[in-house]
Amino acid sequence: MVVLTNLMAQQTIWRLPEESRVLFATLIVAGAFVLILGLIPVLQTLPPRGRRAIVVTVTFLAGLFFAAEFFLPVDWTAIFPKDDPKRNFLTPAIQPAQNVLQIIGALALGLGTFGLVRLHLRNAVQRRAQWGYSIVLLVSFVVMAAFSILNTLAEKKIVERGPVLERGFAILFDHTLIQLDAAMFSLVAFYIFSAAYRAFRIRSVEASILMFTAMLVMIGVVPLGAQISPALPTIANWVLAQLNAPAQRAIEFGVGIGGLAMAIRLWLSLERGVT
Amino acid sequence: MSYQHAQDNWFSAIIIGFIALAVLMNILRAQLGAQLYIRRIPGLDAIDEAIGRSTELGRPVTMIPGLTSFGVVAVQALTIFKYITKQIARFATPMRLLSGDPTVFAVAQEAIADAYNEAGRPDLYDPDNVRFLSDRQFAFASGVAGLIQRERVAANFMFGEFFAESLIFAETGNMVGAIQIAGTVSFTQVPFFVAACDYTIIGDEFYATSAYLSREPVLLGSLVGQDIAKLLFALTTLGGVIAASIAGTDAPIIKLLGQPGGWEAFWKSVLQGGGQ
Repeated sequence: MVVLTNLMAQQTIWRLPEESRVLFATLIVAGAFVLILGLIPVLQTLPPRGRRAIVVTVTFLAGLFFAAEFFLPVDWTAIFPKDDPKRNFLTPAIQPAQNVLQIIGALALGLGTFGLVRLHLRNAVQRRAQWGYSIVLLVSFVVMAAFSILNTLAEKKIVERGPVLERGFAILFDHTLIQLDAAMFSLVAFYIFSAAYRAFRIRSVEASILMFTAMLVMIGVVPLGAQISPALPTIANWVLAQLNAPAQRAIEFGVGIGGLAMAIRLWLSLERGVT
Repeated sequence: MSYQHAQDNWFSAIIIGFIALAVLMNILRAQLGAQLYIRRIPGLDAIDEAIGRSTELGRPVTMIPGLTSFGVVAVQALTIFKYITKQIARFATPMRLLSGDPTVFAVAQEAIADAYNEAGRPDLYDPDNVRFLSDRQFAFASGVAGLIQRERVAANFMFGEFFAESLIFAETGNMVGAIQIAGTVSFTQVPFFVAACDYTIIGDEFYATSAYLSREPVLLGSLVGQDIAKLLFALTTLGGVIAASIAGTDAPIIKLLGQPGGWEAFWKSVLQGGGQ
């Protein structure tokens, strides 16, 4: 306890000296591997109720960490004079915890990519329906991955950036991928038009009000509206600020409360959906 | 990097505490046997109709959790998809779950396998039906749109967090004549779904879905707790409007409510009877 108090006072528990960081990080990674390798067989031998108890405990402790960090007082300078008055002793651990989440995300990305490649390899090998698309995907995947990895290595000066790599990377990413993204995004404009046509067709009193209001707002917020009548921009702004914004805020309140209730259920393992 | 704390804002700390208390108390009430009412949500009643249509046509059902990363929104979306999959398993209807986030994909595989097991049809589960397409927004959008077109899906369920790609999914589904039910917490995408889908679940109705479908006491109790919290928000707003109208916007208590500070400001205000 004395050691911990001293460490907290010196703020060295999360801020290690530069030379100790590599050793400390290696120990953490090795410890995590040992823990995972030991935990998997233990979990498999446990009955479902025992496994659930472990999951419930870990979930509760993880949630408790974030809740405690938020609710605990931040100013501890009366006890630890060197401490930052804008954080408590759990605050510096927030970033490492978020890094862990990123690492899990990166591992899952590998899993997702494996699933995608396996599916399309099977499609191509077994010549299933539309297997040509699978060939296109696999070739694109390999070429993109190769150029992306080589480009990263070149940025780190591990390999030399030759003209083939430079030109190939530019063609694939700047002239192909980004343009395809832009093409997909531009489709939204056409889809808005077709969806708006259906939504604004006058079929009922509500649809008529919707169409009339939408037209007022659309004309009011463009320069043409002010040319037609100075009242139009005022009306459009009134609709946006007095009618639209409160309705959106009400929806946001509801969503926020719903999310908080869901988080509490997950934290206390009361939610049985996918857990 | 600085983080927000309860000590920085007394108002949010009290509100969070109240919402948590309201939710937990009502969960307890429901567990003790209180009969709780939940109103009808037409979009959720239509889920079975959409599955029935897919079964009749022999065409697949698609489920899209959007681009959301793993969190409460994704858990809620997967809970809904699990319910849909259980219904699908009864009729052996083909399904595709298309994910744009690898963590959601990993959990979705387990959830869908569980759903087939719980429905008593583990033989129908095919891991290839739960697919990760891409974590790039428009690559994912083109993958989903292509699959909807090629497989001529009969029902399209979109539950989760969506961005600019929402209309690409919804309009593509509309083109192939699919019954579409969408539910999202992204209120900027709600107009697109309303325009292009048959049924749209708006805002916090999204979080009510699992309670509505399962009728579990814990979830129903939580829902009543949320409604009480919403009532508190409405009353606070109304009270603020009345107080500001009577006392004026410069009154110390209105300033304290409008720009809440830390506990120091709160206690100072309480001890001085709303004064500074």
